[in-house]
Amino acid sequence: MDVFILLLEGIFVSFEPLNLGLLIFGCLIGLFVGAMPGLGSVNGVAILIPITFIIPPTAAIIFLAAVYYGAMYGGAISSVMLGIPGASTAVATVFDGRPLAVKGEAMTALTAAAVGSFVGGTVSVILFTLFAPPLAEVALRFNAPETFALMVMAFATFVGLGGDDVPKTIFSILIGLALSTIGLDLITGKPRLIFFNIPGFLHGINFLVLAIGIYGIGEMLWTLEETKGKVQMSKLSVNMKEVGRAFGALKKTIMAMNIGSFLGFFVGILPAAGATPASLMSYGITKQLSKNSKEFGSGVPAGVVAPECANNSASTGSMLPMLTLGIPGSPTTAILLGGMILWGLTPGPLLFTQEPEFVWGLIGSLYIANFFTLVLNIALIPAFLMVLRIPFAILAPVIFVLCVTGGYAPTQSLHDVWLMLLFGFAGYILRKLDYPVAPAVLSIVLGPLAEKALRQSLILSDGSMGIFFDMAEKPIAAIIMYIAIVLLIMPAFGPLYRKYFKKAQTT
Amino acid sequence: MSITNKITVKRAEIAVAVILALCSIALMIKSAENRITWNAEENMGAGFLPFYLSLGMLICTVLTIIKFVLKRSPQSKDDSPFIEAEAFKYIAVTIISLVILVLAIGYLGIYFSLIFFLAFYLRYFSSKSILFISVFSLITPVLTFLFFEWLLKIPLPQGISEPLFYPVYDFMYS
Repeated sequence: MDVFILLLEGIFVSFEPLNLGLLIFGCLIGLFVGAMPGLGSVNGVAILIPITFIIPPTAAIIFLAAVYYGAMYGGAISSVMLGIPGASTAVATVFDGRPLAVKGEAMTALTAAAVGSFVGGTVSVILFTLFAPPLAEVALRFNAPETFALMVMAFATFVGLGGDDVPKTIFSILIGLALSTIGLDLITGKPRLIFFNIPGFLHGINFLVLAIGIYGIGEMLWTLEETKGKVQMSKLSVNMKEVGRAFGALKKTIMAMNIGSFLGFFVGILPAAGATPASLMSYGITKQLSKNSKEFGSGVPAGVVAPECANNSASTGSMLPMLTLGIPGSPTTAILLGGMILWGLTPGPLLFTQEPEFVWGLIGSLYIANFFTLVLNIALIPAFLMVLRIPFAILAPVIFVLCVTGGYAPTQSLHDVWLMLLFGFAGYILRKLDYPVAPAVLSIVLGPLAEKALRQSLILSDGSMGIFFDMAEKPIAAIIMYIAIVLLIMPAFGPLYRKYFKKAQTT
Repeated sequence: MSITNKITVKRAEIAVAVILALCSIALMIKSAENRITWNAEENMGAGFLPFYLSLGMLICTVLTIIKFVLKRSPQSKDDSPFIEAEAFKYIAVTIISLVILVLAIGYLGIYFSLIFFLAFYLRYFSSKSILFISVFSLITPVLTFLFFEWLLKIPLPQGISEPLFYPVYDFMYS
């Protein structure tokens, strides 16, 4: 009952004129950002975060969450119409969305994507409302050792579940952490890693500089290389008959909606996972369980609904650990978490007691954003198609302008703009060589929090690392640490498992 | 053979791994300017964490190099160009123009630098008319100015062009 009242209060908060205006504006921007090839929620949020400094934190989080949400819906538009995923979260949408468009059923694909997103979003936000308060209550009992153990688990998840090259993944985590140590040491006050005695390094490296560099500049370079500014758009006829037919086709997608919504939410909660693996897994499982699995890939609405449901559901799921535990569930939530620190908030369970308006305003806004995004998505399809016709050669410099100004604005230092360029170029090169870049962003956000928790824990234990493994004194920290260790060593057993499995299959 | 064909994925992989290994060593040396030991009495030295994080980075890059030598990574067997010639033109021009943009911001100020950057970029990569390019290159910095200076009250760098903005500020704040 309490939850229901708090949720109602949250919905009222999101209906306040400023919040509602920003919510609708955020949904619109998110839809456009998601629809543009090469730009996704993470790019949109990273580039837009500097403009939230002049508004209250609640309005800022509602705006950015709406951008996040909208981008999940919008990603499907370019997947269907151009055959290029608007973002990595919409990769799986191309598998059946594009063939549907090629067959002349683009409207069916776009409607399936929009309705799938709406269902996934709604189910996940209900699950979020139910799970968040009890999890926050448990997390309230966490002290420095538990917090540090959680951070270690977040890093370990990238290694255990990331599926990428393990040394490269660990390198990415470590470089993010190393970058976060630049500046004044928080305990001794001594300057650390001040290269060439450049004063700009004394205030450390703002996570936004890395995030905008990698997800703004680096992503644009990547997309310029991939598309070379050329796109081929499918034809689309928008009329009531087509819309009616599109809704009719959704009757056969109930199973895909269920799988996408629930699987997406729980995969989204995992720190290394987020919306991209959730959508791919949802597509794969729906295909396997479907009676018409052979038709997948040739253009079936369920093949669009499954990933779209999952990516929206996962985006909400990834906010659960961000709000309750203070660890992000996706690269976008890592940036949102960094934003909270910039707005003067302390991410974690205390938010539920100290900033209920912020937390419940955000949760309430997710319900509202879900509705508005569905309506705007379907109503503005012709406008999106116009935007998609903008040549990349025009869009790219505009994004660069946003990156340069966004990189300068937080600290008003050209030093940060140079760093942002450097990170952008480096991120582009590293990504081409399969170095995952998301762990670096997660690490630079979590780095200072992890270091603080580690050093506080060691002061508590008189310098003994045993505090993290003491089942009698700190059982939660110990259990989390052991899970983290299992996750860290899991990739080492992968080749052994495959070898054994192959042997068993041949015999 | 063009330069883009000479730089294969294989060569890029090993070159980047070696550069990252050298950077890791540089970070370790830099970290060692502070105390890198850790004991119960004095707790952690300021250089402890960055030193061991850099050491970890070095180990990871050495593992990447070993995987390369043993041909265990996909990149170690990939002789295709790291970047195609046509894409290289896009990337190189973009990177050079961005570097010149940031250099120019420090001297000319952001608004005039943006005009030149946008005009050059659009002229080079798009087939739009001179009129479109001129209008676009002028409107974008104006909107940037209004957004940051007027709405957000965040001053952006103006370099030698600062005196030109005094009348605008007088008008805005009068």
